[in-house]
Amino acid sequence: MNEKLVQVFSPGSIAVIGASNSFDKLGYHVMKSLAGNYHGKIFPINPKSDRIWNLASYPSLEAVPGDVHLVVIAVPARMVPDTLHACGRKGVRGAVLITAGFREIEDDGGRVLEEEIKEIAGQYGLPIIGPNTFGFVNLSSGVNASFTSEFSRIERGGVALISQSGGICHLCGFLAIEQRIAMSKLMSLGNRCNVDFPEVLTHLVEKDSSTRVIALYIEGLDDPRRLLDAAKSLRGRKPIIVYKAGKSEKGDSASRFHTGSLAGNHAIWKGALRQAGILEVTGTEELLDTAKAIDSCSLPGGTRMAVLSGQAGPGMIASDALEPAGLKLSRFSEATQRRINDLLPPIAIRTNPVDMGPAWYDPKNIIAILKAVIDDEHTDGVIFLAMYASANLNLAEGMVEYMKAAHPFQKPVIACFTAPPGIWDEPIGALDRKKGVAILPTPERAVQAMANLWKVSFLSNGRG
Amino acid sequence: MGSLILGVEALAFLEKEGFPVLRSFLATSEDDAAGKAAEIGFPVTLKLSSPDVIHKTEADGIRVSLRDESEVRQGFRQIVGTFTTDQPKKRLDGVMVQAQGGGIEVIVGMASDEQFGPVLMFGLGGIFVEAMKDVSFRLIPMEAYDAKDMMEELKGYQVLKSPRSGYVDLPAVQNLLLGISQFITRHPEIREMDLNPVFVSSHGARICDARIMVL
Repeated sequence: MNEKLVQVFSPGSIAVIGASNSFDKLGYHVMKSLAGNYHGKIFPINPKSDRIWNLASYPSLEAVPGDVHLVVIAVPARMVPDTLHACGRKGVRGAVLITAGFREIEDDGGRVLEEEIKEIAGQYGLPIIGPNTFGFVNLSSGVNASFTSEFSRIERGGVALISQSGGICHLCGFLAIEQRIAMSKLMSLGNRCNVDFPEVLTHLVEKDSSTRVIALYIEGLDDPRRLLDAAKSLRGRKPIIVYKAGKSEKGDSASRFHTGSLAGNHAIWKGALRQAGILEVTGTEELLDTAKAIDSCSLPGGTRMAVLSGQAGPGMIASDALEPAGLKLSRFSEATQRRINDLLPPIAIRTNPVDMGPAWYDPKNIIAILKAVIDDEHTDGVIFLAMYASANLNLAEGMVEYMKAAHPFQKPVIACFTAPPGIWDEPIGALDRKKGVAILPTPERAVQAMANLWKVSFLSNGRG
Repeated sequence: MGSLILGVEALAFLEKEGFPVLRSFLATSEDDAAGKAAEIGFPVTLKLSSPDVIHKTEADGIRVSLRDESEVRQGFRQIVGTFTTDQPKKRLDGVMVQAQGGGIEVIVGMASDEQFGPVLMFGLGGIFVEAMKDVSFRLIPMEAYDAKDMMEELKGYQVLKSPRSGYVDLPAVQNLLLGISQFITRHPEIREMDLNPVFVSSHGARICDARIMVL
């Protein structure tokens, strides 16, 4: 399975079964995602057309000359069994089954059909992503095998998001574009016919060098221990974070035992994730912020944080947020404090949290302060806060200039740069995710992401 | 459906498996209770023992800190008297005579989940578990680290660590949790279990009461 998945996710050729020129067919949108974007061979399959999306099309999979690595299937459910037999005979490496109408529907016929396709897949050893999926996007190798072409706009990076829901991929994928989160993979596993979380997790850890952090969205699994055992056996190799939905389920109210009545499904998930070395997050923002921070920053070696702020208020709320998140303000060494005192006039509060206001027009000094606190042995990470004001217009661009020569920071720096749209966009884009810096929207979110970096560091390395 | 093992019988089973329990005997008469109390040493606790009663406190079935024979005799008469008057239809096994426990109360439990299989629970006793549901779970089997980590996960962990609680033998609790995880692995017939309360103090952990459901 693992070997096949490598070719499924980075195929040299793709056939689209049910490819179409009409906008109201999903096969149209799959073609839109591939044509002009994917660099391998594309074979549209449709018995009724000669050309689809301006490419030569074929009446059947058999008619395609040469090897087909991946097929994307967007035909009605009743045609799927025959289609899979054709895939098996052709020797394709795997399939994305976009078609819905299987065990997710009320009609029992859906469940029966899903059993049938599972059996066919087993017969040929054919990995199937889906059914009932929007597909997958492999940004690392430029493959958008989905019906949403706009996902190709996501920047290429180290976040793999694997979801039980296509809707969550759409929520997170578009937020990723907006918030400069860079991804390696975006995938909905749909009904998980035979490619389930453990298989993909193992692939991402062992075979996918572009993935630095794995984010999972899970609704419910029939056999959660399989995923947890896989995560345990891979512990410490790549950070795994999970957003588990369905928290309302209660324990067994009929149980006459305290334990039984308290053993709600989510309560067990919570402990089991921690036991497997997985970080649980509890919201979309936290999922994306944490994934971005892990992808961009070094992991902290401890909980002691420096807060550097251009304005007092944001620095204060960041400092307030530290303790409840399990972090604390660091106490600078004498050498560090002397260095900061050289760089800042005494009209500011120069101890942690540092008010950098007086240096606001001097990006060189700001960078020097940042470097000084990163070098401080009593500091494990930095929260850096910069709000635009007309007079500090040149700050962000100045920082970009000085950062060019800087070495990547060996401690995490999570920053907020807040400005009216259009003013700092370019320099923010140039600073974000470079040299160990992640930029997030608010001080509180920056602190929460920092706290999660520490938890990930602890979960991966701290087990005694 | 399975059968329930309760009280003295459950404690004896756990003791045989090597777990620390408070010394307990079932007394079926006042004289018997007085004799067992002397054997255990004072102070002792008396507890109503009936397969039909879950909440002994509500049935006025508990007497604690009994310091001598006359208090034990009086306690026995009161418990049996109240029970036979108030609940004549319910079965009475007798009264459990138990060494007086002390320290912080915690709960250790086990449940069988449809998806996860056997899981272990840990929580602080009394109001923490009843009202605040401050408990943590781990899948069975677990490792020594998990036993420590599931204690630290509690919001009320500071209660165990606080000097005001006196020194609490946390390694003993960790050993108990790990031991229960191994015990459940050895006994797949056990479907549900409450060890509630377990007293923890500087003298270690002692199981005070237990309910076990076996298939």
